[in-house]
Amino acid sequence: MADRVLSDSQTMVAAHGDFLYRFALVRVRNPDVAEDLVQDTFLAALQGSHYGTGPMAERGWMIGIIKHKIIDYFRRTTREPIHNPVQPDGQTADEEFLADGHWNAEGVAMQGWPDGLLERRQFWDALALCLEKLPPRTAQVFTLREMDGVETEKICELLNLTPNNLGVILHRARKQLRDCLSRRYFGHAQEGMQ
Amino acid sequence: MMPWLSRLLPTCRDMSRLLSDAMDRDLPFHVRARMRLHLLTCVLCERYKDQLHLIREALRKDDAGLEDKGSAQKPCLTAEAKERIQRALDSHRQ
Repeated sequence: MADRVLSDSQTMVAAHGDFLYRFALVRVRNPDVAEDLVQDTFLAALQGSHYGTGPMAERGWMIGIIKHKIIDYFRRTTREPIHNPVQPDGQTADEEFLADGHWNAEGVAMQGWPDGLLERRQFWDALALCLEKLPPRTAQVFTLREMDGVETEKICELLNLTPNNLGVILHRARKQLRDCLSRRYFGHAQEGMQ
Repeated sequence: MMPWLSRLLPTCRDMSRLLSDAMDRDLPFHVRARMRLHLLTCVLCERYKDQLHLIREALRKDDAGLEDKGSAQKPCLTAEAKERIQRALDSHRQ
Protein backbone atom coordinates (compact mmCIF):
# COMPACT_ATOMS: atom_id res chain seq x y z
CA MET A 1 0.00 0.00 0.00
CA ALA A 2 1.42 3.31 -1.04
CA ASP A 3 0.84 5.27 2.13
CA ARG A 4 2.05 2.61 4.44
CA VAL A 5 5.04 4.07 6.22
CA LEU A 6 6.03 1.17 8.46
CA SER A 7 9.73 0.48 8.10
CA ASP A 8 10.99 -2.89 6.98
CA SER A 9 11.99 -5.28 9.70
CA GLN A 10 15.68 -4.41 9.63
CA THR A 11 15.11 -0.70 9.98
CA MET A 12 12.59 -1.41 12.67
CA VAL A 13 14.99 -3.37 14.85
CA ALA A 14 17.67 -0.72 14.45
CA ALA A 15 15.35 2.21 15.05
CA HIS A 16 13.26 0.94 17.94
CA GLY A 17 14.95 -2.18 19.33
CA ASP A 18 16.94 -0.64 22.14
CA PHE A 19 14.20 1.77 23.08
CA LEU A 20 11.55 -0.91 23.35
CA TYR A 21 13.96 -3.19 25.18
CA ARG A 22 14.58 -0.57 27.88
CA PHE A 23 10.89 0.18 28.01
CA ALA A 24 10.15 -3.47 28.71
CA LEU A 25 13.14 -4.13 30.94
CA VAL A 26 12.34 -1.46 33.52
CA ARG A 27 8.86 -2.98 33.79
CA VAL A 28 9.46 -6.73 33.68
CA ARG A 29 13.01 -6.66 35.07
CA ASN A 30 14.15 -9.75 33.25
CA PRO A 31 16.39 -9.38 30.17
CA ASP A 32 15.18 -12.57 28.46
CA VAL A 33 11.55 -11.69 28.95
CA ALA A 34 12.19 -8.15 27.75
CA GLU A 35 13.86 -9.47 24.59
CA ASP A 36 10.90 -11.77 23.89
CA LEU A 37 8.48 -8.92 24.37
CA VAL A 38 10.38 -6.76 21.89
CA GLN A 39 10.30 -9.57 19.36
CA ASP A 40 6.56 -10.13 19.86
CA THR A 41 5.97 -6.44 19.46
CA PHE A 42 7.81 -6.33 16.14
CA LEU A 43 5.91 -9.39 14.92
CA ALA A 44 2.62 -7.78 15.81
CA ALA A 45 3.76 -4.55 14.18
CA LEU A 46 4.66 -6.31 10.93
CA GLN A 47 1.32 -8.06 10.82
CA GLY A 48 -0.71 -5.00 11.63
CA SER A 49 -1.22 -2.12 9.29
CA HIS A 50 -0.05 1.21 10.42
CA TYR A 51 -0.74 4.45 8.66
CA GLY A 52 1.23 7.05 10.49
CA THR A 53 3.48 9.90 9.70
CA GLY A 54 7.10 9.06 10.20
CA PRO A 55 9.26 7.30 12.74
CA MET A 56 7.89 9.00 15.84
CA ALA A 57 4.34 7.96 15.04
CA GLU A 58 5.67 4.47 14.43
CA ARG A 59 7.34 4.49 17.83
CA GLY A 60 4.22 5.67 19.60
CA TRP A 61 2.30 2.90 17.95
CA MET A 62 4.85 0.31 19.03
CA ILE A 63 4.78 1.59 22.61
CA GLY A 64 1.06 0.94 22.53
CA ILE A 65 1.68 -2.62 21.37
CA ILE A 66 4.39 -3.39 23.88
CA LYS A 67 2.31 -2.02 26.76
CA HIS A 68 -0.32 -4.62 25.96
CA LYS A 69 2.30 -7.36 25.67
CA ILE A 70 3.69 -6.41 29.07
CA ILE A 71 0.27 -6.53 30.69
CA ASP A 72 -0.36 -9.93 29.07
CA TYR A 73 2.90 -11.12 30.53
CA PHE A 74 1.95 -9.88 34.00
CA ARG A 75 -1.36 -11.67 33.71
CA ARG A 76 0.21 -14.92 32.60
CA THR A 77 2.75 -14.91 35.39
CA THR A 78 0.45 -13.80 38.19
CA ARG A 79 -2.69 -15.69 37.44
CA GLU A 80 -3.34 -16.74 41.00
CA PRO A 81 -3.95 -14.05 43.59
CA ILE A 82 -1.13 -13.79 46.05
CA HIS A 83 -2.04 -14.85 49.51
CA ASN A 84 -1.62 -12.19 52.09
CA PRO A 85 0.36 -9.91 49.78
CA VAL A 86 1.20 -7.58 52.59
CA GLN A 87 0.61 -7.55 56.28
CA PRO A 88 -2.21 -5.35 57.48
CA ASP A 89 -1.15 -1.82 58.20
CA GLY A 90 0.27 -1.32 61.63
CA GLN A 91 1.81 -4.74 62.00
CA THR A 92 5.20 -3.75 60.78
CA ALA A 93 7.64 -2.15 63.10
CA ASP A 94 7.92 1.06 61.17
CA GLU A 95 10.76 3.22 62.30
CA GLU A 96 9.39 6.19 60.41
CA PHE A 97 6.53 6.55 62.86
CA LEU A 98 6.44 7.14 66.59
CA ALA A 99 4.11 5.13 68.79
CA ASP A 100 1.46 7.87 68.68
CA GLY A 101 1.31 7.74 64.88
CA HIS A 102 3.35 10.86 64.20
CA TRP A 103 6.27 10.84 61.82
CA ASN A 104 9.57 10.38 63.53
CA ALA A 105 11.02 13.77 62.62
CA GLU A 106 14.52 12.52 63.44
CA GLY A 107 14.29 9.77 60.86
CA VAL A 108 16.64 10.11 57.94
CA ALA A 109 13.79 9.46 55.51
CA MET A 110 12.03 12.62 56.70
CA GLN A 111 14.63 15.00 55.34
CA GLY A 112 13.40 17.59 52.92
CA TRP A 113 14.59 17.24 49.36
CA PRO A 114 16.41 20.06 47.63
CA ASP A 115 14.87 21.94 44.73
CA GLY A 116 15.68 20.99 41.18
CA LEU A 117 16.03 17.33 42.00
CA LEU A 118 14.90 16.23 38.56
CA GLU A 119 17.89 17.94 37.02
CA ARG A 120 20.34 15.94 39.09
CA ARG A 121 21.94 12.82 37.73
CA GLN A 122 22.26 11.40 41.24
CA PHE A 123 18.52 11.51 41.64
CA TRP A 124 17.92 9.46 38.50
CA ASP A 125 20.60 6.96 39.49
CA ALA A 126 19.04 6.62 42.93
CA LEU A 127 15.58 6.26 41.42
CA ALA A 128 16.73 3.41 39.20
CA LEU A 129 18.36 1.63 42.13
CA CYS A 130 15.42 2.13 44.44
CA LEU A 131 12.96 0.88 41.83
CA GLU A 132 14.95 -2.32 41.50
CA LYS A 133 14.58 -2.90 45.21
CA LEU A 134 10.81 -3.10 45.07
CA PRO A 135 9.59 -6.72 45.30
CA PRO A 136 8.64 -8.04 41.82
CA ARG A 137 4.90 -8.12 42.26
CA THR A 138 4.88 -4.70 43.87
CA ALA A 139 7.00 -3.33 41.05
CA GLN A 140 4.51 -4.60 38.45
CA VAL A 141 1.59 -2.91 40.13
CA PHE A 142 3.56 0.23 40.85
CA THR A 143 4.92 0.76 37.34
CA LEU A 144 1.50 0.16 35.78
CA ARG A 145 0.06 2.83 38.01
CA GLU A 146 2.82 5.42 38.27
CA MET A 147 4.64 5.10 34.96
CA ASP A 148 1.83 4.09 32.66
CA GLY A 149 -0.98 5.83 34.53
CA VAL A 150 -3.33 2.85 34.30
CA GLU A 151 -6.50 3.43 36.34
CA THR A 152 -6.78 1.45 39.56
CA GLU A 153 -9.98 -0.38 38.56
CA LYS A 154 -8.19 -1.61 35.46
CA ILE A 155 -5.17 -2.81 37.44
CA CYS A 156 -7.40 -4.70 39.88
CA GLU A 157 -9.13 -6.40 36.99
CA LEU A 158 -5.92 -7.20 35.13
CA LEU A 159 -4.01 -8.57 38.08
CA ASN A 160 -6.89 -9.96 40.07
CA LEU A 161 -6.50 -7.74 43.11
CA THR A 162 -9.07 -6.27 45.44
CA PRO A 163 -9.14 -2.46 45.64
CA ASN A 164 -7.88 -2.62 49.19
CA ASN A 165 -5.00 -4.94 48.29
CA LEU A 166 -4.05 -2.59 45.52
CA GLY A 167 -4.25 0.41 47.84
CA VAL A 168 -1.94 -1.24 50.35
CA ILE A 169 0.54 -2.32 47.68
CA LEU A 170 0.72 1.15 46.15
CA HIS A 171 1.01 2.80 49.55
CA ARG A 172 3.84 0.47 50.54
CA ALA A 173 5.63 0.94 47.24
CA ARG A 174 5.43 4.73 47.37
CA LYS A 175 6.66 4.83 50.92
CA GLN A 176 9.47 2.37 50.28
CA LEU A 177 10.60 4.36 47.27
CA ARG A 178 10.46 7.65 49.16
CA ASP A 179 12.39 6.19 52.10
CA CYS A 180 14.97 4.63 49.79
CA LEU A 181 15.53 7.87 47.88
CA SER A 182 15.91 9.86 51.10
CA ARG A 183 18.35 7.34 52.52
CA ARG A 184 20.45 7.34 49.39
CA TYR A 185 20.78 11.08 49.70
CA PHE A 186 21.05 11.62 53.40
CA GLY A 187 21.74 8.24 54.96
CA HIS A 188 25.49 7.97 54.83
CA ALA A 189 26.68 9.74 51.73
CA GLN A 190 26.22 13.46 51.33
CA GLU A 191 28.52 13.65 48.36
CA GLY A 192 25.81 13.60 45.75
CA MET A 193 24.17 16.65 47.18
CA GLN A 194 26.85 19.36 47.30
CA MET B 1 -3.48 22.19 67.91
CA MET B 2 -6.18 21.49 70.48
CA PRO B 3 -5.75 17.97 71.82
CA TRP B 4 -9.41 17.15 71.28
CA LEU B 5 -9.17 18.25 67.67
CA SER B 6 -6.05 16.29 66.89
CA ARG B 7 -7.79 13.18 68.18
CA LEU B 8 -10.42 13.65 65.51
CA LEU B 9 -7.91 14.03 62.74
CA PRO B 10 -5.95 11.29 61.02
CA THR B 11 -2.51 10.57 62.43
CA CYS B 12 0.57 10.91 60.23
CA ARG B 13 0.55 7.15 59.82
CA ASP B 14 -3.06 7.32 58.60
CA MET B 15 -2.14 10.26 56.41
CA SER B 16 0.62 8.35 54.65
CA ARG B 17 -1.99 5.85 53.42
CA LEU B 18 -4.59 8.52 52.65
CA LEU B 19 -2.15 10.66 50.68
CA SER B 20 -1.33 7.60 48.61
CA ASP B 21 -5.03 6.78 48.06
CA ALA B 22 -5.71 10.36 47.04
CA MET B 23 -3.29 9.88 44.14
CA ASP B 24 -5.42 7.04 42.82
CA ARG B 25 -9.01 8.07 43.40
CA ASP B 26 -11.27 10.82 44.66
CA LEU B 27 -11.73 10.52 48.38
CA PRO B 28 -15.01 11.48 50.09
CA PHE B 29 -15.38 15.11 51.08
CA HIS B 30 -15.24 14.48 54.81
CA VAL B 31 -11.97 12.59 54.44
CA ARG B 32 -10.44 15.30 52.32
CA ALA B 33 -11.55 17.92 54.84
CA ARG B 34 -9.86 16.10 57.70
CA MET B 35 -6.74 15.62 55.61
CA ARG B 36 -6.62 19.31 54.81
CA LEU B 37 -6.87 20.20 58.47
CA HIS B 38 -4.06 17.82 59.27
CA LEU B 39 -1.89 19.24 56.51
CA LEU B 40 -2.41 22.77 57.81
CA THR B 41 -0.33 22.01 60.84
CA CYS B 42 1.95 19.21 59.69
CA VAL B 43 4.97 20.09 57.58
CA LEU B 44 6.15 16.50 57.54
CA CYS B 45 2.98 15.22 55.87
CA GLU B 46 3.05 18.14 53.46
CA ARG B 47 6.60 17.18 52.63
CA TYR B 48 5.71 13.52 52.21
CA LYS B 49 2.90 14.45 49.84
CA ASP B 50 5.23 16.61 47.74
CA GLN B 51 7.79 13.82 47.60
CA LEU B 52 5.24 11.26 46.38
CA HIS B 53 4.13 13.65 43.67
CA LEU B 54 7.70 14.36 42.65
CA ILE B 55 8.37 10.63 42.29
CA ARG B 56 5.29 10.30 40.10
CA GLU B 57 6.36 13.25 37.99
CA ALA B 58 9.80 11.72 37.52
CA LEU B 59 8.44 8.31 36.54
CA ARG B 60 5.93 9.73 34.05
CA LYS B 61 8.58 11.92 32.51
CA ASP B 62 10.75 8.92 32.06
CA ASP B 63 8.51 6.17 30.82
CA ALA B 64 11.17 4.86 28.51
CA GLY B 65 13.10 3.40 31.36
CA LEU B 66 15.44 5.89 32.91
CA GLU B 67 16.82 7.15 29.67
CA ASP B 68 19.73 9.56 29.39
CA LYS B 69 19.20 11.05 32.80
CA GLY B 70 21.30 8.97 35.12
CA SER B 71 24.98 8.25 34.75
CA ALA B 72 24.55 4.50 34.55
CA GLN B 73 24.99 2.74 31.22
CA LYS B 74 21.66 2.38 29.48
CA PRO B 75 20.71 -1.23 28.90
CA CYS B 76 20.69 -2.21 25.22
CA LEU B 77 19.86 -5.28 23.19
CA THR B 78 23.02 -7.24 22.53
CA ALA B 79 24.10 -7.80 18.93
CA GLU B 80 23.14 -11.47 19.30
CA ALA B 81 19.70 -10.55 20.58
CA LYS B 82 19.17 -8.24 17.61
CA GLU B 83 20.16 -11.04 15.27
CA ARG B 84 17.81 -13.46 16.99
CA ILE B 85 14.96 -11.02 16.66
CA GLN B 86 15.83 -10.31 13.03
CA ARG B 87 15.80 -14.01 12.21
CA ALA B 88 12.46 -14.51 13.92
CA LEU B 89 10.95 -11.60 12.00
CA ASP B 90 12.31 -12.81 8.68
CA SER B 91 11.03 -16.35 9.20
CA HIS B 92 7.57 -15.00 9.88
CA ARG B 93 7.51 -13.00 6.70
CA GLN B 94 8.01 -16.18 4.64
